[in-house]
Formats: sequence, structure tokens, C-alpha cells
Amino acid sequence: MDPLILGALVAVATILVLFSGVSVAIGLLIVSAGFLIVFDGMRSLELMPEILFGKLDNFALLSIPMFIIMGASIASTRAGADLYEALERWLTRVPGGLVISNLGACALFAAMSGSSPATCAAIGKMGIPEMRKRGYPDGVAAGSIAAGGTLGILIPPSVTMIVYGIATETSIGRLFLAGVFPGLLLVTLFMAWSLYSTWKVGDRALLSPVTYSWKQRLEVLPRVLPFLLIIVGVLYAMYGGIATPSETAAVGALLCLVIAMIIYKLWNPKDLWVVLRDSTKESVMILFIIAAAGVFSYMLSSLFITQSIAEWIGTLEVNRWVLMAVINVFLLVAGFFLPPVAVILMAAPILLPIITTAGFDPIWFAVILTINMEIGLISPPVGLNLYVINGIAPDIPLKTILKGSLPFVGCMVLAIILLCLFPGIATWLPNMVMGSAI
Amino acid sequence: MSGHSSASVARTGDNPFLKLVAGLSTLAGWTSAAMIVAAVGITCQMIFVRFVLNGSTIWQTEAVIYLVIAATLIGLSYVQRLRGHVNVDLFPLILKPGARRWMAMFTLTISSVIIGIMVFHGYEFWHLAWDRGWRSDTVWGVRLWIPYLALPVGLGLLLLQLIADLIAVALRIDAPFGLEDH
Repeated sequence: MDPLILGALVAVATILVLFSGVSVAIGLLIVSAGFLIVFDGMRSLELMPEILFGKLDNFALLSIPMFIIMGASIASTRAGADLYEALERWLTRVPGGLVISNLGACALFAAMSGSSPATCAAIGKMGIPEMRKRGYPDGVAAGSIAAGGTLGILIPPSVTMIVYGIATETSIGRLFLAGVFPGLLLVTLFMAWSLYSTWKVGDRALLSPVTYSWKQRLEVLPRVLPFLLIIVGVLYAMYGGIATPSETAAVGALLCLVIAMIIYKLWNPKDLWVVLRDSTKESVMILFIIAAAGVFSYMLSSLFITQSIAEWIGTLEVNRWVLMAVINVFLLVAGFFLPPVAVILMAAPILLPIITTAGFDPIWFAVILTINMEIGLISPPVGLNLYVINGIAPDIPLKTILKGSLPFVGCMVLAIILLCLFPGIATWLPNMVMGSAI
Repeated sequence: MSGHSSASVARTGDNPFLKLVAGLSTLAGWTSAAMIVAAVGITCQMIFVRFVLNGSTIWQTEAVIYLVIAATLIGLSYVQRLRGHVNVDLFPLILKPGARRWMAMFTLTISSVIIGIMVFHGYEFWHLAWDRGWRSDTVWGVRLWIPYLALPVGLGLLLLQLIADLIAVALRIDAPFGLEDH
């Protein structure tokens, strides 16, 4: 059979199997096994456990559970609320008030956790009730946190970027750096929109600062400074050439756990178990998808599907930006239904040869892909962050949260356009710090 | 619609088999968490030896990799019990409760079959390593049957949990896909 038709069949089968409610990882194994049996014979199944094991046999993967523990230990404490309070007290003179502090806290928390729902929950628990109390519209309060939370997968450390790095064999350190300026760009756009929409409702009092005494400002610092120091330390170790991302993540995880125990008195074995249980649950889920996606991409390449698609796209002679637009639409639609990790692992082996052939930088593309995934996190029907917000503030209807989030989707689309026009936003920092890739 | 079904852990009712499998999966979860913690500890020890004591490290990197692999495979059944394996329940949400139940039984059966095949070939792979005394080609030269053991054990436990989930749905002890009828 023509590999391209086979590819189309695989795509349809994968969609049907994944929508059936089976877990993503097992679904990928089912599709892989089905096609391998039909087109390669029963014997090809013998290799599946070996491939599964081989995909996990990678030191870089260690950084996933480590960064997850780091985020989970911070998220299980009041650190999110403290961070938020500290920013509110210190940024009080910055015009825009509370919503700016919230978005800033989201960005900083993202730098500590690497997970979007965790960022959303940690800052939202405190930020949403406070904003509503002071009279911000529900849509702005919920939307800004939902959108701010998505920064978790863009601002380093980011689990999504690690997975992309592993799937495409690109430098994780470089990918982390590539997320910094686009992350800041998004925060700026989010802040601009929040200020505009608050200003539009006409309540100027919301934008005027609340004053805090120096005592109030200083008393919150001892609780947040250690975490900020860990972030700086982790980044220094990683980029100062002291240790690999996995090693620094392990030290970061240990330090965050210890600090959570000392400052937030996370002594109770039950509380500690919750951190470990949640970390184990998320790590195992992601690592299993990585392993299963390895089997899936083995099936794609052993049936010559990956190679044929890349060749076929090469012969199309379409403008490379049209190609990029099509890829973006594909990623956006995939992100509406599937979690970011699954989209990256399934799409990366097929898309990478296409984008490099078209002359795009894979590091820059990682940022574009991640922003697409961020849009999926605040768009129906999946929109994980929308449900996190719904859990925090159950009295805000899902419709209002969704309506409040939509303008932020606009900000993200704008960021993608800006990144296409000025790729340097993503590539300048990694090239500056680590030298040019080529 | 997607995400880890946050709802609840898989229910066992009074069924002794389901309780036994739940117990095994929980034990596997603790083991998996302990392995991740051990990986954190060993990595930190490795960094200490290398950068503070200026020594060389021999076994640590390999041990950490195998620990994370084992944590993943051994933890599969526990995560299944917690409904932590992310899924997209688009079709189940569209279906009426009766059809949804059949759908759940169908997907759990197919999942059990594929994991069953993996357990079989995983066992064969492990047995080959055991039989031929394979060792890793590193200075440490670890006997490979030890890390490979995680394949049949971890996938076997996952198979048990999937069968338990299937039985729980068939006996109406648990809701299909963890989705309650409203």
C-alpha cells in the first residue's frame, strides 16, 4: 500500500482510538500493534517491549520527575499565595494594580513549576477571590489567571520543552532559553489586554494602587526569597556549565522539598506523601506516553510513513509560510483535544523533517508549538486550565471563564505572528548564551 | 473531557479480587515513588562526589536511569488505579449510559489484550537477558535482567489493574470511565 494512504489510515485510526476514552499511551500502543500486525506480521510485536524500555533509557528523562517534584512541592504549600502577596505589595506603585501582580506571579510561578495547571491553581486560589473582592469583572479575573497559567509550559523550566527536546534530540538548555523572551512577550501582551479591559469597564479605582507599609512589604520576603534563589541557582548551574538539566533538576527538587518542609512545615508524612503521590502520578503518566509514543514512531518509520510524508511535503512546492500556517492550524486543532505532551510526541517525528527541510529553526519551532499548546489549554473542548479555574471559583460560570479567556487566545495568536515576523525573539537568547547552533 | 479523570480512584466495593488488586497497585505506587526519591538522592550524591569531592562516578548515572524506568513501569498500575493516565473521553461523553458501559468494557478488553501481549514479550525479553547473562557495556556492567525485570512485573501489574477495572465496570461496582450518570 502507498505509505501516504497508510499514513492517512493511521491518522484516522489514531483519532478514533484516542477518542474512545482509552488512555493516550495504551491507545498509541493499540494503533501501533494493529498496524504492525497487519503490515509487518505478528513477529514485529516481539520488539515492542524492547522499544518501550529503550525509549525510557535516557538520562535526560530524569529531569521530568525532578521538575515535577520541584513544582509539586511548591504547589502543595502556600508559596503561590505568598508569591502573589509579595508581588502585590512590591508592585503596588505599578499602574494596573492587582491584575498585573497576578500575571507577574503566574510568570514567576511558571519559572518554578513547569506545569500550567499547577501555576493556574497556585496563583488562582488567592488571586481570583482577591480580584473579585476588589471589583474586577469575573471574566478578567478568571481569564487572566487561566491565560497566565499557560505560561507554565513556556517559561523555563518547562516539562513540555523537555519532552520536545527528547523527541527531537534538540538541546534542552537551548529550548529553555528560547522560551524566556516569548514568555515575557506573552506576559506583556496579557498585562496590556487586562489593563485595557479593566479600564474599559470604567472603574478607574481598580487601577489605582493600594498602599502598603515597608513592614508589610518586608515581612513576606523571607517566605518567597528561598524559592527565587533556587530558581536562580538552578539556572546558574545549568547555564554556567556546572551540571546538566537533569542534575540541576534533581538538586532543585531536593532543595524545594527541604525548603517546603522548613518554611511551610511540610513535616506531616501524609502531606509529604501527597506531594510524592502527585509527582509520581504525573511523571509516570508522561513517561508512559513518551515510551508508547516511541513505539508509535517506530511503527510510523518501519512502515515508511514518516519518510514518505516528509518527501511528499518536499515536492509540494508551497510557500514555506503557507506550510507553517497549515502546521499551526493542525497543532491548534490537535491541542484542542489532546494534552501537550501527547501532541508533541506524536507530531514531532513527522513535523521535524518537514520544518527543517523548509528551513525553519527547530528551536524557534518549539516555541511556536508550545504557544499553540497553550492556546489548547484555555480553549474548549479540553481546556484543562478552564476546568482548574472552574474548580477554584465554582460560582463563575464556565461560559464566563471561557469568554474571559478568549481575548488572551488573541494575544497568543498575536505572539505567534510576532514570532514569525521576528524569530529572534526566541532564538537570540539561546544563540547569545550558548553560541550559534550551526 | 480530557485530562486525568480527577474524580476518584477506581472503586473496589466488597469484591476481594478488586481489593487485592487495589492493594497490589497501591504497593506498586509506593515502590515507584520510593524509586523516584532514590533517583533524586543518588543524583545529588553524584553531583556531590563529582563537584565537591572531585571524584569520579561509576554507577550513579546508570542506576538513576534504571530507577526512573522501573519507577515508570512499576507505577503504571497505581496510576491506572488513580485514573491518572490521561485520556480523551469524547465518545463516552456522547454515548448514553448503557452504551458507555459497553464502550468502557470494550476499551478495557482491548487494552488488556495489548498489555497482555506486552507482558508476554516483555517476559521473553527478560528471560533472554537472564538466560544469556547479558550485562550492560559500561564500567559498572550491571546484569541486565535486573532492570529488564521491571517490564514483565510492571506491565503484569498494569494488566491485573486493567482486568480489575473491567470486572468493576461489568459488575457495576464502578462507573464506566469514572463518569457518573447525571
